[in-house]
Amino acid sequence: MFDWLMWFTHMENSKPLALVLFFVAFCGILIYVFTGKQRAKRLESYKYMPFDEEEPQQSEHRDFARGLPRARIETQSRKVMDNE
Amino acid sequence: MRHEHIETNSGLMIVLILLVISIGGLVEIVPLFYINETIEKVDGVRPYTPLEMRGRDIYVREGCYLCHSQQIRPFRDEWLRYGHYSLAAESQYDHPFQWGSKRTGPDLARVGGKYSNQWHVQHMKAPRSVVPQSIMPNYPWLLESDLDYSDLAGRMGALRATGVPYSLTQQEYDANVGRFGKVVADQLDISQAQDSLLKQAREKDFDGIPDRITEMEALVAYLQALGAMVDFAKYDEGYFTTFR
Amino acid sequence: MAQSSALPVEQYNYDIVRKFTIVAMVFAVLGMTVGVFIACELAWPFLNFDVPALTFGRLRPVHTTLVIFGFGGSALFATSYYVVQRTSQARLAFPWLAEFTFWGWTGGVALGALTYMLGITQGREYAEFEWPLDIAITLVWVSYFAVYVETLRRRSQPHIYVANWFYLAFILAVALLHIFNNLAVPVSLTKSYSLFAGVQDAMTQWWYGHNAVGFFLTAAFLGMMYYFVPKQAGRPVYSYRLSIIHFWALIFLYMWAGGHHLHWTSLPDWVSTLSATFSVLLLMPSWGGMINGIMTLSGAWDKLRSDPIMLFLITSLSFYGMSTFEGPLMSLKSVNALSHYTDWTIGHVHSGALGWVALVSFGAFYHLIPRLWGAKLYSQALVYVHFWLATIGIVLYITSMWVAGIGQGLMLRSFDDYGNLAYTFIETVEFMHTPYIWRALGGAFFVAGVLVMVYNMVMTLRTARREQAAIEAKLAAKMAKA
Repeated sequence: MFDWLMWFTHMENSKPLALVLFFVAFCGILIYVFTGKQRAKRLESYKYMPFDEEEPQQSEHRDFARGLPRARIETQSRKVMDNE
Repeated sequence: MRHEHIETNSGLMIVLILLVISIGGLVEIVPLFYINETIEKVDGVRPYTPLEMRGRDIYVREGCYLCHSQQIRPFRDEWLRYGHYSLAAESQYDHPFQWGSKRTGPDLARVGGKYSNQWHVQHMKAPRSVVPQSIMPNYPWLLESDLDYSDLAGRMGALRATGVPYSLTQQEYDANVGRFGKVVADQLDISQAQDSLLKQAREKDFDGIPDRITEMEALVAYLQALGAMVDFAKYDEGYFTTFR
Repeated sequence: MAQSSALPVEQYNYDIVRKFTIVAMVFAVLGMTVGVFIACELAWPFLNFDVPALTFGRLRPVHTTLVIFGFGGSALFATSYYVVQRTSQARLAFPWLAEFTFWGWTGGVALGALTYMLGITQGREYAEFEWPLDIAITLVWVSYFAVYVETLRRRSQPHIYVANWFYLAFILAVALLHIFNNLAVPVSLTKSYSLFAGVQDAMTQWWYGHNAVGFFLTAAFLGMMYYFVPKQAGRPVYSYRLSIIHFWALIFLYMWAGGHHLHWTSLPDWVSTLSATFSVLLLMPSWGGMINGIMTLSGAWDKLRSDPIMLFLITSLSFYGMSTFEGPLMSLKSVNALSHYTDWTIGHVHSGALGWVALVSFGAFYHLIPRLWGAKLYSQALVYVHFWLATIGIVLYITSMWVAGIGQGLMLRSFDDYGNLAYTFIETVEFMHTPYIWRALGGAFFVAGVLVMVYNMVMTLRTARREQAAIEAKLAAKMAKA
């Protein structure tokens, strides 16, 4: 009944096994990243990060960011450390 | 787990990156050290003699590997042009390997014995005097500078530490006699290194200058040893494919 | 540099970024000039002049080291120090350590180039530094890691921006590669023997060599792309989700591909087959990244007409796409049988190195220079001149190498009616003479472009200094009145 488990113990099967595992992991990541409306919105909101920097002396380079939809909710002024 | 956890935690990100980048290298490199078939079982391959070893140092110093490969591939044109395809066994004592990646000049894996010493000396001194269309630089200084063989023990000792069977003890020497025969074993003995270098230079006179030992002497000695160690007549063609 | 003391303390540490920017341009001029010189040596061998230090074999590592590590490395230090501060909104950590990375890196690369000319080398492509320099570089790298990660940890942003992931992966991977590939037993200060031999040594070296391309010349420059393309375009990157996939897939797949440099050699067949498979898979994340970069401009394509800096960045991505298509193609065993050992490989490397790495760096620098020195770029027109010189140079370079490489490959494998070899080796060398001249010309075009950029940069810096002096004079006058 559990004979099929023996398949995993053969060295020559390690490559197809690894292939299956990696591919499943890859599909899992794809599904995670590209499904869910909420998640999509949340993830895409992080792409505005490079425009969050304050730069008083170069105002002409600032206006472009203002016209963009700002999905970010958190403010960035406080210090945040890892894991917070 | 959300991707945000990784994005907001530099420590976790470092760990995951290390994990992801380690897999490929581990799978491809580590087995090469353990799978016996990586290197063919074949007679004749021996470590370089002290003189050849110094020649190889010069080969590395001048960057010959940037224009000449030492790796013949199993194709008909390469077979006709250079000879039998290279075996892993033939570079098993090469620290570092000099397979090269570009053939601006021809492959040298089996150049040993193909040309006379005199040809090599003339060709290295002034390549266009032998091959008019050649674009190789002249290497006249190889004939002008005397070979430095003061540090043979240090060099052979370092190579011994990497696993090349140069002998230091009686036991290692005896093992070499059993493996390579007495003549070769003497040449691989670190305590006799200087003598065997002088002896080989005197007997063969690779550079054509009997009373001097030049850098050319060592380099030509090395080139003449390249690819000439295995007697392919002893094996039938099917034998080596079992290792691939 | 000089004016930084006069300004009120800058929010970010730009001093180190300015230093690396300048030294990157110095290395670019030096390294690429050496490149043109050795290209000429191949066309006209008398140029070796019978001087040991000037022969092709000794100068070639000088060229690759100055360009890859000197120019590319310094560009990465400059931009990564800039990006990590800006996206973390934190000042660079450990400024003295960052200073050490500057002197250590610059000194190490320069010393390396000099030692190659003296014939001191490990004889491993792109890892020619002898062991004392390897150790020094390791120290610099560990310091770089410390500065970079500590700055990240001090960020005022909860998130680490995607550009920093790529820089981080680059720092980690290069550390790993550098250490394992340079394991050696020293004989003296100037000589060592690699720990591994033959086939294991070859695989270790090309695992290093390919990932030097993958992480040093690709991942890190993608980090540059993920910051500077959106900033210059004034719009966020096309898809953040795509960048997640792009990142993890790219760093995972690259590490497997090294064996394709050793097709048909004594390397066991399973390794080279595996490497070829992963090399083909690599096409997907590579193009994913390229699409992500180029599509950032979707809806604002007109910028390509009005902004020469954008032209640099987008063209670099196009060359990236082209060479990451060519790469998997050349990693197929049947194609590799023809292309390997020929100039096709050299052309491929340069379409990546000149087309992608150098152009994206120039784009980033043009974006940076006004911000770092606080002055408008001296001439917009000269940026266009640079762009066209560079593009013509690259096209000449890669087409001549296609001709030389494919031509030689075909000649070497052709037979006459009796089954004998149709050409001797030296006939292929003769054939390559003309393409070699065109290649040197292409390189000269590219260097000319770089010189135009240097001129533009120097003039900008002079204006900046003059303006600064004027402000100071005004200030002094005010003080005197009061």
